[in-house]
Formats: sequence, structure tokens, C-alpha cells
Amino acid sequence: MNRTILLIEDKPALTDTLKTLLELHEFNVLTASNGEEGVAHARQHHPDLVISDIFMPVINGYELLEIFKKDSQLRNIPVLMLTAKTAIEEINLAMKKGAAGYVTKPFLFRNLHATITKLIL
Amino acid sequence: MLNGIKEPVLIIEPTEGIVEKANKAAIDKLGLSVTGKTLNVPFKEEFMLVSNNGSAEETHIGFSANRINIAQKEYILAIGKACDSEQQLRVQLRNLEQERALQEMKTNFISMTSHEFRTPLTAIAAAVDLLETRIKMDSMMNAFYQQNILKISTEVFNLNTMLDEILTLSKIVSNNYEVNKTPVNAVKVIDYLNYQYFSERKDERRLEVKVVGEPRKIPVDKDQFSKILTNLISNAFKYSTHENPQIKLHYHAHKLVISISDHGIGIPQKDIPHLFNSFYRGSNVDGIDGTGLGLAIVKTFTEMNDGEIKVTSEKGKGTKFSLTFRYA
Repeated sequence: MNRTILLIEDKPALTDTLKTLLELHEFNVLTASNGEEGVAHARQHHPDLVISDIFMPVINGYELLEIFKKDSQLRNIPVLMLTAKTAIEEINLAMKKGAAGYVTKPFLFRNLHATITKLIL
Repeated sequence: MLNGIKEPVLIIEPTEGIVEKANKAAIDKLGLSVTGKTLNVPFKEEFMLVSNNGSAEETHIGFSANRINIAQKEYILAIGKACDSEQQLRVQLRNLEQERALQEMKTNFISMTSHEFRTPLTAIAAAVDLLETRIKMDSMMNAFYQQNILKISTEVFNLNTMLDEILTLSKIVSNNYEVNKTPVNAVKVIDYLNYQYFSERKDERRLEVKVVGEPRKIPVDKDQFSKILTNLISNAFKYSTHENPQIKLHYHAHKLVISISDHGIGIPQKDIPHLFNSFYRGSNVDGIDGTGLGLAIVKTFTEMNDGEIKVTSEKGKGTKFSLTFRYA
């Protein structure tokens, strides 16, 4: 059975491409364009993995992680952060708040794919 | 004896603030009446007096005060230095403040743009990956496609590195970096960087990590330490083609020596003395992209963290950078 990934990203140019790439690698992909929509989708569909941006409108990546940790239904879904920030401090903060992993932007898909595989396959 | 000193010198009796003695330079500047006068300014550390030698232009003399003992009695010895008028000082101060504000604006601007640039770069990198995947799936991949796809992808990451370097250097120039030292496990940092940036390479090469001795923590700023290593490891990959670069951590009794070596193009002897200057690049880099900022950043960060950096290299054979950090 194909695994389902929820992709939360506010840049449509990247969302479309990444969705297609993930689908070509045999994942089911749901998308959301901000954290709030992302949380709603996660509650409704229970994806196997969430890939989320950190800096986005309404609810940012850090807040999203906090919501996930407090919610018994969402707590066990791994969240992988995609972030343009390469400063260790920010990455540490995301990991401290419970991120399962992260990949910095720009990334090579094979790098992202390796991280996904490590988390859910 | 005081007359032999070029700068104005005053000897002040500290309880009443009476100038007991003045040398010739002080009398020239402040007039004969300076001795015996009670100073009406605080005179225990630094103070300023206005010259009164009859010339139209008044000058200010800044004095720095030191305690001395003459015949077992305490005095203040004040040594002066002529400076521009207060008006001029104020203008200078204002200019400095403006310059600082401008510098800060510049740094913020560079920080913002470099962040904004990642968005299109990420979209380009992903689109190239998608093209490659699709072409492969349709069994249409050939050397021509492969070569040009690799070219786009490589250049995207080069551009990204340049953005990082410009951002870092602009922060260094505007003194925006604080050194936040904590005990850091270097092996862990390297494992993490290796996984994050140097694994899953398109050319299948990898970083060889070797640890000698009992690992101990070193007091460094983790972020800056990571930038130093990322830069040197990227260079080792960038300036070599076939063999794996190597990083060796040697834990000695009092210090950790980290050496990063490659079997690449090497650095000509004549370039080595200039290697750490901003924008300087080796004369044999030919078509290899770079800003010439990386090693300037590496050296600045290494020194800010009380480390040392050395380089040995032979043209055509390879290069080795060694970093030394003490445990405490």
C-alpha cells in the first residue's frame, strides 16, 4: 500500500513540483498551503508523514510542531521540516520541538527521499 | 624633567584639584595661569580642558589621569592630547552613528534577499530533479541530458553557497557576530554535517571520517564551528574529482587537531600567503566557481573561537587544512 505524505508549503511553484516528484516515487500526496490547513488535513486524513516548511503564514512550523505534540491523534505522525534557514540554532529549536528530521532548502530530491525512507519505510 | 615630554602634562593635588605643576607644552597650550588654579572639572579619570593661548581657534585637550606618588604623597598625573573642537567631535560621532545605521540596513537587506533567493533556487532544483526522474522513467536518459541536468543542478547549489558566504561576510563586516561558546562534541557535529550536506552525492563520493584518541568536548560556538567545517569539507570535494576527501580528528592531551585533506588540484606556493584574504582565489582554479570569501570566513571564525588554522598543499597532489582547538 502506498504511504501518504502531507506536504505543507506556502510556495505553489515548489508544492506542485514536489508533489509530482513524490507521486512518481509512489507516495500519495496531500497538500496544504499553511499550518492551519495542514493541521486540519492531518486530523482528517492521518498521513504517514508530514513534510512542512518552517516560515509560512497563519501557523508556522514551530507552532505546528507544538500542536502535533499536544494532540494524541497527531503525536505519532513524524514531521520532517523543510527550511531555508541553515543556522544550527533554528534547526535545533525545530528538533527540540519534536521534528523527526529536516532538510535545508535548496535540496536534492535524492537527499529528501533518503530522509523520508529513513523515517517511514 | 616634564619639559622633555612633548604632550601637555599636569600634576594635580587630588584633594583640592589644584594644578601644582605644568610642563612647557601644557603652559604653551593653557597659559601660564594654569598652575595654582583649581580645576573645575572631574579630573580623576579622563577630562578635557580648553586651550587659552591667545590664538583665535580654541582647541580642546583631552587628558587621561593616572595616580602617582611623589615623596610619599599621592598626586594625579594627567597627560594630554590635543583634539579637535567639541563641535567637530559631535559631527564625527553623528557620522559614525549614521554609518552604523547604514551598515545595519545593508546587513538586513542582504539577509532578507539571500533568504528570498532560496525560494526560486529551491523551485529550480526541484524542477530539475523532476525532469531527471521523468526522463529516466521514460527511458530517454542519455549523456547529453545527464550532463546538462547535472550542470543546472550544480550551478544552483553554487549560487546557494555564494549567498551563504555573502551573508556571513556581511555579518562579520558589520560586527554582527557574537561568539557563543559551549562545550561541543566535534565528532557529532561532523556526523551531522556529513549526513546533511555531503551524503547522497551525485558523483557517489563520500567523506571519510577518522577519529584518533579519546573524544573530548571543545569550547566553541557551534554554529561558527559548523560553518568552518562545512566550508573546508565543501572545498575538499570541490577542488578534487576522484578520490574521497578525508577528515581526521586527532585528540591529543591538551588539544584537538582536525585535518581536512583531499587529493585534488592543490594550491600553488605563491598563492598560499594570500589564501585567507577576501576575494582572493588560487591561480589554478580555472573553471571552478567560487567567491573567494569562504576561507576568509573560515579564518575569521577560527580566530574568533581561539583556534588556529594551517594549510599545506602541493600543486597537482592535494591540500590539507589543519585546525587546532584547545580543550579549555
